[in-house]
Amino acid sequence: MKFDFTDEQYALRDAARELFEKESSPARLRELWGGGARDARLWRAMGEMGLLGLMIPEQFGGMGGDEVDLVLVLEESGRAALPEPVIETVAIAGPMIAAGGSDDQKQEWLPRLASGDAKVTVQVEASPFVVDADIADALLIEKDAALHLVPSTHFDAAAIQTEDPSRRLFTVTAKLSDATRLGGGLFSQMFLRGAWATAAVLNGIAMRLLEMTVAHVKSRQQFGRPVGSFQAVKHKLASAAVLIESSRSCTWYAAYALAKDLPDAPVAISAAKAYASEAEGYINTEALQCHAGIGFTWEHDLHFWLKRGRALEQAYGSARHHRAILAHHVFDELDRGSER
Amino acid sequence: MDISYSPEQIAFRHEVRAWLRANVPEQRLPSSDTPEGWDAHREWEQKLFEGGFAGIHWPREYGGRGAGVVMQAIFEEEYLLAGAPERISQIGQNLMGPTLMVHGTEMQKQQWLRGILSAEDIWSQGFSEPDAGSDLAGLRTRAVLDGDAWVINGQKIWTSYGANADWIFALVRTDPESPRHAGISFIAVDMKTEGIEARPIRQLDGRAGFAEVFFTDARVPLANVIGDVNAGWQVAMTTLGFERDAPSKPWARYRRDVAELARLARARGVENDPVVRDWIGALFADAEAYRHHATRTLSRLANGESLGPEASMTKVLWSEMERRTYEAGLDVMGPYGEVLSTESPADDPSLWHTLYWFSRAATIYAGTSEIQRNIIAERVLGLPKG
Repeated sequence: MKFDFTDEQYALRDAARELFEKESSPARLRELWGGGARDARLWRAMGEMGLLGLMIPEQFGGMGGDEVDLVLVLEESGRAALPEPVIETVAIAGPMIAAGGSDDQKQEWLPRLASGDAKVTVQVEASPFVVDADIADALLIEKDAALHLVPSTHFDAAAIQTEDPSRRLFTVTAKLSDATRLGGGLFSQMFLRGAWATAAVLNGIAMRLLEMTVAHVKSRQQFGRPVGSFQAVKHKLASAAVLIESSRSCTWYAAYALAKDLPDAPVAISAAKAYASEAEGYINTEALQCHAGIGFTWEHDLHFWLKRGRALEQAYGSARHHRAILAHHVFDELDRGSER
Repeated sequence: MDISYSPEQIAFRHEVRAWLRANVPEQRLPSSDTPEGWDAHREWEQKLFEGGFAGIHWPREYGGRGAGVVMQAIFEEEYLLAGAPERISQIGQNLMGPTLMVHGTEMQKQQWLRGILSAEDIWSQGFSEPDAGSDLAGLRTRAVLDGDAWVINGQKIWTSYGANADWIFALVRTDPESPRHAGISFIAVDMKTEGIEARPIRQLDGRAGFAEVFFTDARVPLANVIGDVNAGWQVAMTTLGFERDAPSKPWARYRRDVAELARLARARGVENDPVVRDWIGALFADAEAYRHHATRTLSRLANGESLGPEASMTKVLWSEMERRTYEAGLDVMGPYGEVLSTESPADDPSLWHTLYWFSRAATIYAGTSEIQRNIIAERVLGLPKG
């Protein structure tokens, strides 16, 4: 038994962290928030590092990895509040096209996804909005219990104003046809994959919020001592640490269950997303509280993570949504009388 | 990442399951607080010993199976699911025995290890005092050298099994002039020693689980000090390390509790109450998070790492989850929440009360949640001491 990552997986995590710190710094985020243009370099660099092809089969230019290989990279994208459709392109579209695409679809899209030449965004039935539709080369969409992969020539996108300008949402009108259909049997996977990947990103956001808050309360002095020496502050942050670390364990297991195709993967994913939304929600509240006045300013970087966190708590099913699924599961098990 | 069991571990699980199925008493044993219950529990311990299931984590040279943490966790899980009796040997087998293996002399090991394993000797732990709880180093029980013996005076409290145990290992102050953590010794005391009186304390849940132990000029042989005289704090840290690094509570328990809560909700006709369903979903997620976190912790131990302050996280996690679960149970019971009779809609009406009140102890014993949070804040997050 080894519930841990390999040295290679940790090395990739470190490389991703370094890249994101360099190419997607808070200063860079601030430019985007001010209406600045996106920088195509970041996505291309991610492709060169192999991050975008992690879950794409080797024959199509990818690394042939699985969710366990990806999960730490997703955390890092959250730690950096990366303004890119990593969840949609890397965690959802890539593996789903690889699993359900026709030969033509695979040939057309997978090598470009792996290299960073193309981005694919997704629309799930649960949400009217689509992230980054303006820069997506294709849209993976659920409609009437079928999946379609629609090239950008066949959909129109209208921008929605959002609270987090580095997470841009759109409504889309897509022309669906038999030619755009993606293989059957994968319908329910899109939402689940999105929920799992979002849980991992939320864990990264929560880690960053905790790191920023710990640094702040260590240096901020009041009453002649660091405010982080007061138990009222310490205990909030200790609670956050417990929630975040157990949330990571939960999301890592969901990654493993997906990678191994275990029967409890859907339940593990709902538990992971419910828990991650709660854990991030807790530190989201307390990070601002502990930063106090300075945290409530536009100038401070904290709100990049506060707002991304609040957005992703709701994406691919809120905690409440997934808890309802879990309750349903518990009563189902009762009916089946299987307790062990 | 590989979260699966080896063929050897799976075979062990089957062996344990089969043995428990054949041997667990059908009738629940009388409470270990009563004389007949105590004897019955000791007999059960002896049965486990004869079956080869006492101290399975002890090295073979001391009569154990040399089981690693994963096998221990498997055993604990099967033990729980089999509804097997409370283990009154735990303090001896999990704390005293392993501490002796590290700090004891050959003679001390000869003297005590076998009795711990066979349950001939049941041990209790004498650390806390009325004025030394979370602040353990403030302990005041004194031991003074007098010829061939240490003469002990003082009082220990919250001593589990104190009223019935055969032995107690205690922290006593042997050099009152030294700074707090120095000048303490770790000593094994036969409870039959003249001058020792154990008074059961009736707990808030009605049970008599722990006791206060009074020492009045109790003479204890010099050879009963474990480790060096005045170096007892280091020995105690070893003991607490065993407590901390033991495999966590079996996760299967919490999944079972959530299923019980759902059953209760159904019996009370609130199965479709959205708030109740939200609780059940949340508690199921809690149980899952605990399960995976415990597995991650177990994997670290199994791969040769030791747990530092992270163990405090696991403690906070399970103890607070227990409380939330049983609080929800009391709410779902509604007007029956205060009733102990069979009129109650729960299968075992006293179950929720027992579990709830005992869960209130869980956030206190083995380091309160507040102490755990201080440890996490200072040693994991690096926040300054207050």
